[in-house]
Amino acid sequence: MSGSNRLAGLTARPKDTSPEEVRRIDDVGEARGFVDRSPRKKPGRKPSPRTYQLHPKVFPRVGEAIASEAERLGITQGQLIEEMWVTYKETL
Amino acid sequence: MGADVTALDCDPNKSLTRWASHGLPKGVTLHSEVGRSDIVTIIKNADGDGKIVIVDLEGVASQLVSRAISQADLVIVPMQPTALDAEIGSEALALVREEEEALSRTIRHAVVLTKTSAAIKSRVQKELENQLRGAGIDMIEPSLVARAAFSELFAYGGDLTSMLNNPEIVTGGKVDNALLNATAFTEAVYERLK
Repeated sequence: MSGSNRLAGLTARPKDTSPEEVRRIDDVGEARGFVDRSPRKKPGRKPSPRTYQLHPKVFPRVGEAIASEAERLGITQGQLIEEMWVTYKETL
Repeated sequence: MGADVTALDCDPNKSLTRWASHGLPKGVTLHSEVGRSDIVTIIKNADGDGKIVIVDLEGVASQLVSRAISQADLVIVPMQPTALDAEIGSEALALVREEEEALSRTIRHAVVLTKTSAAIKSRVQKELENQLRGAGIDMIEPSLVARAAFSELFAYGGDLTSMLNNPEIVTGGKVDNALLNATAFTEAVYERLK
């Protein structure tokens, strides 16, 4: 075979790669024990990159207002403080 | 040979990747990180007229294996001439036949015996060959003989020709005999692909 590229004469035979076809193949394989063995991701929530902790004491009415506003916005109190910090910096 | 070859290393032992770390022959591209979710796409993108895609699969029954088989023009099942390898290999052959039925197309498949003796054919090997042929299984001849040069490819990288032509490479066996064996095997594979 050396000396000439006989392989260039080989023609590709396109295969069906649609999701339906792949699912059909998975079903056939699973019936024979050829199951998904890819490594599982670690279960549970990923650790937060927010690692710095503040310890402010505020008046109860201010604390309650911050807590309820964070809840209304669907974010954590820490995220709300971050947003407040951005707004504060913009006003400087 | 001038062929455009794409190799997919799907073996968790990363044998191909270790070999490639010492240097890839010209025209060979290696994909090391291939998962079940992208194997079909990678094969499809690498395939084309005159192109060769080689998928080295893991030795376990997995969804990745069945997906790779579904995209194959030729499935080669390597087997050492032992009863255990024959049993494990027969699982893969059975899956190929079932995928053929499911896809309503023929997926050419063949067995190649590996690590065989250059001098004598063992009784187990003769029995295994008879059983496989009796079951209508295509056997690739020649088998791949246990030769030091094949193992040492993983120490030096490249291919057998570069190994033969490099006087600095010292092997524990005859590279020219390994090259003859590999060339004859390649011819047999080519005959099945054309």
